[in-house]
Amino acid sequence: MDYPIWNVAMGGGVLMAWVAITHVIVSHFAIGGGLIIVITETLAVKRSDPELRELARRSSLVLILVSTVFGAISGVGIWVVAGLISPGAISALIHNYVWGWAIEWVFFILEIVAALVYYTTWDKISKGAHLLVGWLYFIGAYFSLVVINGIITFMLTPGGWLESHAFWDGFFNPTYWPSLVLRTGIVVLMAVAFMLWPAFKASPDRRPDLVRYLGWWFLGGVFVSYAGYRWWEAVLPDTVTALFLGEAPTLAGLAATRSFTLWSLTLGLAVTVVALLLAPKLARGLTAILLMVGAFGFFGGYERLREGTRKPFLIHSHLFSNGLLVSQIDEINARGIAAHSGWVAAGDPAPEAFGGRIFVAQCASCHTIDGYQSIREALPTVADMELVAADQPSGMGAVHYREQCSRCHGDIEYQEMAEMMPTLEEIREDPEFIRELNLGMITMTLVELRDMGEEFADFEPGKQFDMRTLDRSYMPPFVGTEEEVEALALYLASLDRGETDVVATGGEK
Amino acid sequence: MNTDLIPALDAAGMPGPPWLFHFLLVFTFFLHLIFMNLTLGGTLMAFVANLRGGGRTADPNAVLAKRLMGVNTYAISLAITTGVAPLLFVQVLYQQYFYSGTILLGWIWFNMLVLLMIGYYAAYLHKKFRGPWLGVSALTFFGIAMTHVAVHLIHVQPEKWARFDANALAVLGDPTYWPRLLHFVLAAITFAALVAAWWAVRRARAGVDVEVNTAIAATAWRWGLWSTVLIMVDGFILLGVLPKPVLLGVMRGGLATLGPLTISILFGVGLLMMLARAKNPVENPGLVSGTLAALTLTIAVMTVTRHQVRVLYLDPFTSQFHPTIVPQWGNFILFALLLVAGLATVFWMIRRVLTSPAEGDEAA
Repeated sequence: MDYPIWNVAMGGGVLMAWVAITHVIVSHFAIGGGLIIVITETLAVKRSDPELRELARRSSLVLILVSTVFGAISGVGIWVVAGLISPGAISALIHNYVWGWAIEWVFFILEIVAALVYYTTWDKISKGAHLLVGWLYFIGAYFSLVVINGIITFMLTPGGWLESHAFWDGFFNPTYWPSLVLRTGIVVLMAVAFMLWPAFKASPDRRPDLVRYLGWWFLGGVFVSYAGYRWWEAVLPDTVTALFLGEAPTLAGLAATRSFTLWSLTLGLAVTVVALLLAPKLARGLTAILLMVGAFGFFGGYERLREGTRKPFLIHSHLFSNGLLVSQIDEINARGIAAHSGWVAAGDPAPEAFGGRIFVAQCASCHTIDGYQSIREALPTVADMELVAADQPSGMGAVHYREQCSRCHGDIEYQEMAEMMPTLEEIREDPEFIRELNLGMITMTLVELRDMGEEFADFEPGKQFDMRTLDRSYMPPFVGTEEEVEALALYLASLDRGETDVVATGGEK
Repeated sequence: MNTDLIPALDAAGMPGPPWLFHFLLVFTFFLHLIFMNLTLGGTLMAFVANLRGGGRTADPNAVLAKRLMGVNTYAISLAITTGVAPLLFVQVLYQQYFYSGTILLGWIWFNMLVLLMIGYYAAYLHKKFRGPWLGVSALTFFGIAMTHVAVHLIHVQPEKWARFDANALAVLGDPTYWPRLLHFVLAAITFAALVAAWWAVRRARAGVDVEVNTAIAATAWRWGLWSTVLIMVDGFILLGVLPKPVLLGVMRGGLATLGPLTISILFGVGLLMMLARAKNPVENPGLVSGTLAALTLTIAVMTVTRHQVRVLYLDPFTSQFHPTIVPQWGNFILFALLLVAGLATVFWMIRRVLTSPAEGDEAA
């Protein structure tokens, strides 16, 4: 929170999602592709089967073009984007796991050199030497997953690390092995999704064989990844599963994501059984597209679930996604965010402008002004109040009330509220009064968010926090002095007048 | 010194002594430079050579361009791969400055990734279709060099962050920006030129396309000579425009800073003498190999000087922060062992490949 802020109109989270999703799909394909390609080549050599050999060869071109550069660049891209949108958070990860990443880099070197050699030595070296290179590629690629899996799973379930801060306690955390099994299945799904295309280029008489061959791989991948997924769910702490499982999950959106994830896998399974195994002659481009939809849907859904259940933390129970450490809450509440960050302290001292800088430091890593997770849409406005009061056509007042107000006033029915609130005419006559009212509501919410921080600070250190106990479990707390609460409230209330300080809304750089 | 805008040190502490990360940063950056030089210098040279070749496939310039872009098939991937490690270690040592510098550049820093992607695929498209793709590739790699110099100069000057926050492009007006950029670009061209000359000399002496390879060697050698002349001139300009405290720091740093600087200047002069000596490099294979080795050594020494200059730029700020050291020796030893084993495996694999040529049905 003490870094300058890169304010992206589309939202830093959206940008990260784009980079991360493309990277994980390509990087998992690079691993699974390595396995299937080298086994395919081994079989081709044993059976003297030129079509199998061509499948391996054609697939290796995709591997080299996609994984060695796109995979590598997008992997670096995750660091680049994380450094831009959550520098404190990525710094904390790197300071704890630099040697893990360094070890992964060693495997990455082996992977990339082997991939380049493998692709460029077809027809040029002996079969034995070529297969050796292929296997070394797979070893390098898979072990890079073995390492990075420890860091990724640590972020959601840090386990004993929360108490000991020891590297291996965090690395072999509760979800490490299930996640490794799950991702091992996923790498196969990704590889088949890509390799079907080169398989379609085989001669018409052999195409069904190759399609069926890949179908068996996909089927195996489905079972391994499903087993890994269920194991992953089973070892998650109750505090996490309660967010998306059970009759009344805390986060309904995540429960829907879980359904989507499993239905996507079912789609992939159905397409495989019908079009790849039972009737491979029917397999066409559409089949491959459906398989990709199923495989990517499952993978994307799982990643969304993993990220969503970790919210609002980057390292669960230790570091929030905006770079705030749980251990900093008391200190910043006492001294103020301006004492903590020179970027907040510097500039126009007027309360609204000051509040704008607080917004940038604390909220902008998740919220944009009008784009993704728009803060303006989340705030009460005079226009909202008019819609509720107007009730035109009849019944719409209740609808607007439910949409705009029930998050904070869930215990008050619409009719009851309608009797308490000013009429439409009164609102139009004195909108400033409504703005004052809204300012009060915003201030109350910020006070609640600040109180939430004290709950985090008071929690027993070394344990994973139970997010079910919080009203706004998806948000980091607000930290700062009472004066800073007021400044931020003034800034947020000013957004209703369309007054957005350029520093805070960020003009994009 | 006002440190208000500098973020706090990471609370997790440094997972090893700073000297270890300084060493790893310099060492891995040197590895990165080898492949980065081939990529950047090779692509720029190939672009010019391709134009001079005028579409005649047998023209030595066209062959040189094709050869340089052939090397780039490997060099681009390896430049990215070897770039990961210094990017990792700089975040451990200079997290407060590096992240701030990149954030102040914002989209420009992010677009470095886009340029890299375009540069690579344009190089691939050039091999397939020719057309304007080589120019696109050269332009994007040059853009990446500009971005890196910009982020470097911003991150080492926290006293100017408020100005860069208002206008990041103000970094282009930094007195050291253009000499520094030119220094890196010219070094990249020299390295790519000498690698091309060395390879052509080997081929010519092996009796392969002697006429073309002799012409390529001579052309590449001239590239190396003239870019080294320019580097020497630019290097002294760069030294002259360094901020006074930094320059004084270099001069007063004793053997630690003056040693590498003096060695690299002497190497530079030596390189010029070696490059000027041979009119026909094919007749002097030993000199060509020696020149390439001397250049590689110069790059290694200059990498040390570059790092020392960064340390001196940041000294007024870093001296006010005292990181907690939380060493993870066991993990470092595991990394070191795996690095040795990994590199040994790579060399063993390449050796096995080179000793297993096959053709026809015997081939993979």
